[in-house]
Amino acid sequence: MASSTFPTTRPPFYRDTRVIAIILQLIFLIALLMTGWFLYSNMVARLAASNTAAGGTLSWAFLNQTAGFGISEGPAFRPDESYGRAFLVGVVNTLRVGVVGIILATLLGLFAGIARVSTNWLLNRLAGAYVEIFRSTPLLVQLLFWYAGVIVALPGIQDATELGNLGYLTNRGIHLTWVFITETGRLWLAWLQVSLVVGIAVSWLRRRYLDRNGLTGSAALPGVLVFLVLAVIGYVVADRAASMPEATAYELRRGNRGTLFEDVNRNGNYEPGIDRTLAYVPITLFDQEGHVIATGMTEGDGTFRFLNLPAEAARLEWETPPPLAISKPQLQGFNFRGGLSLTPEFAALLIALVIYTGAFIAEIVRAGISAVNKGQWEASRALGLNTGQTLRLIVLPQALRVIIPPLTSQYLNLVKNSSLAIAVGYPDLFNVSRTIVNQTGAEVQVILMVMGTYLSFSLITSLFMNWYNKRIALVER
Amino acid sequence: MATEIRSTTWVNTNHPAPAQKPPVTEVGLIGWLRANLFSSVGNTILTLITLVVLYFIVSGLVRWALGAFWQPIWENRKLFAVGLYPAAQLWQPAAVLVMVSTLFGLSAGRWGSIMRNLGVGLGGLLLLFAIIPIGMEAQLVMAASLALLLAGYFVGVRVPIASGWLALGWVISLPLTFILLGGGINLPGLGLRWQFAPLVEVNLWGGLMLTMLLAVVGITLSFPIGVLLALGRRSRLPVIKWFCIGYIELIRGVPLITLLFMGMTMLPLFLPAGWGNPSLLVRAMTAITLFSAAYLAENVRGGLQAIPKGQYEAADALGLSTFDSLRFIILPQALTKVIPAIVGQFIGLFKDTSLASLVGLLELVAIGKAVIQQPEWLGTPGGIAREVYVFIALVFFVFSYGMSFASRKLESKLGFGKRQ
Repeated sequence: MASSTFPTTRPPFYRDTRVIAIILQLIFLIALLMTGWFLYSNMVARLAASNTAAGGTLSWAFLNQTAGFGISEGPAFRPDESYGRAFLVGVVNTLRVGVVGIILATLLGLFAGIARVSTNWLLNRLAGAYVEIFRSTPLLVQLLFWYAGVIVALPGIQDATELGNLGYLTNRGIHLTWVFITETGRLWLAWLQVSLVVGIAVSWLRRRYLDRNGLTGSAALPGVLVFLVLAVIGYVVADRAASMPEATAYELRRGNRGTLFEDVNRNGNYEPGIDRTLAYVPITLFDQEGHVIATGMTEGDGTFRFLNLPAEAARLEWETPPPLAISKPQLQGFNFRGGLSLTPEFAALLIALVIYTGAFIAEIVRAGISAVNKGQWEASRALGLNTGQTLRLIVLPQALRVIIPPLTSQYLNLVKNSSLAIAVGYPDLFNVSRTIVNQTGAEVQVILMVMGTYLSFSLITSLFMNWYNKRIALVER
Repeated sequence: MATEIRSTTWVNTNHPAPAQKPPVTEVGLIGWLRANLFSSVGNTILTLITLVVLYFIVSGLVRWALGAFWQPIWENRKLFAVGLYPAAQLWQPAAVLVMVSTLFGLSAGRWGSIMRNLGVGLGGLLLLFAIIPIGMEAQLVMAASLALLLAGYFVGVRVPIASGWLALGWVISLPLTFILLGGGINLPGLGLRWQFAPLVEVNLWGGLMLTMLLAVVGITLSFPIGVLLALGRRSRLPVIKWFCIGYIELIRGVPLITLLFMGMTMLPLFLPAGWGNPSLLVRAMTAITLFSAAYLAENVRGGLQAIPKGQYEAADALGLSTFDSLRFIILPQALTKVIPAIVGQFIGLFKDTSLASLVGLLELVAIGKAVIQQPEWLGTPGGIAREVYVFIALVFFVFSYGMSFASRKLESKLGFGKRQ
């Protein structure tokens, strides 16, 4: 009879994997903490030995101190505001170039990616050359090329390159004709938001109706139509009915410049911060005898300026503007006024980011489309769908599932790469933070703030894209 | 009763008509053009538009390239190659080049695959620079390196050198490069000082040499860290797992430039006061290594996830310890799978080293900026920024595209990325 001898004693604790796991983790944790403490104590000792303004301590008080430096673009920032606000201006500037960059890079990448799968050999190869050239060279070199090699080498203000009615290229920036929302347009903008909500509601109801009755059809189309109709009605009504504020007043300085504003406290003087400036309002200037000497439009900040007037202006009249106004850049003295002005730094950074990221996105789109099984194309052909329908209904929805995850990381890369702004002097988050460090010496705190900001960008973008990805993911039953 | 079967069967006694040639419009050049460029009205319009665009791009580029002012680049070729490295000691970088070429040749012959593809590219570059009159001595070095590359290849093919020895050679070559370039060993922190030539301070190293060095050191040092992080991320021990996840996601969530600046200003803070401040090069390399490790960990994790569960179970069944199963079963398979991804990461890192110019290292881009500022070119109409940056972009392009081409050939050989 076979006797089985089960061990009656437990193995010694140093052979028990559960115990070993705990011991290992404890050792790891202790080593980690000791390393951390070693680094931290060194840092504290070194900081105490240094004698910078905020460097000696790890305090956050510098955030409320006066910055004392200006920021050349983005939200208005005066040197007497705090370091904390300077940092926020930097964050806004990063988002500005990031959001515009993401939109343009997606369009460029989509276009080039579809060209990459085109059956037209020439277009295919041209797109391929674009992708390879711009993916294989460093973004920094491209950025410096666009900035120092192209934009700064453009002609000066006086002999700017004109792009027909579209705008001007100069070495001081790119000035574009642009559509702006005017004073009366603000009302219309609010109406647009309402229309958008109504449009979405209509398409949701339509989808529910279609689903319940087992019908096929487009749910989006009625929603879009409702939105468009409401938007047009709103525009016409705003154009007819809106009027300028009761207490509109103007300030005229030196006979050729000034500000148009709503005199909130009705004292006749323009007081920044209290009175509200009026943007993109058509104005006419008259001289002493009542002759018209200039017509134009106020700018985004409510100011106007006319150099080269035949006589000093004495009086100004304004008209109620339509909700949208087209503003063309005009040479006034030593700079362009009106239109949309992009500084050389912003323009170079945007061009570099869009072209570089566009090449990566093109490759992602190409891979996504070629990942769709050839049989899907053939099956949809067999069903009698044409190329456009095949792409829209069969291929793209499937390709999107492959495209979205890498696309997300490209968007994040674009935002992170915008930190190269420091190479050309665009005041983004990172550039502003370096200025703050140079002035306060609060190295550790500012690095933590910068990293925290970039990490939260990553987190928010990933959350949104994960949500979107889940929405379009294959529903497996 | 015999039935004449033949009588009821129809047989075509005529020979089939001779095969006709396909119409000229369907084959050859015309057929190719019709199929690829003019298959429909829309396609024809597209072709014409593309041709016009292409004409403008190409003619503009050619006109610019012919009229451009390339003299500053030609005259500063030494600066672009090695930076401010003392001219009298240029034999030291030359020795490094010779050493690397030999190792490359041996590896290409012994291992083949991607090393052979890369070796062909290296050989082409060496041949090019042996022919272009960049200077007699430099050309001789290039020719000698080329000869050793080829000799190494044939030796590698014929002689079965142990892979371990070859790998050891590569491992030793890295510190040897530092000793050769530095002219000796100078570590005041450890009280070590030995020299065979006048010591060359690291702040004199520059140009393409420094760019290469940063990328190679970055990927090499980050390799063990990255593998450990990847294993840690898949560990069953929560503390280790969450530490690795935290590290990887933190590093991947911030731009390299923040890490570089952090390395520049905060790395010295973290060291005891007695150790002094590490050189700029060491700080930049630390930042690049820590950055690269997080990305490498994700690549390696991809390889680990691609290993079937059965391999782990089989290793366990054989009674291998965790370490042995990783060493003999899991890692060899996982790392082979991720070679193309690691080459891709090396290309990215190679491009990213350009950021070191922003923290004061004289790599290629910083040299370019310095050349633009040279007083003798300041009067040039339009400046020379365009020429300099196009040249630097070209240098990066040749290496990056060359490596990605080699890697793609390997991928298609391994059968990755093939569908349908």
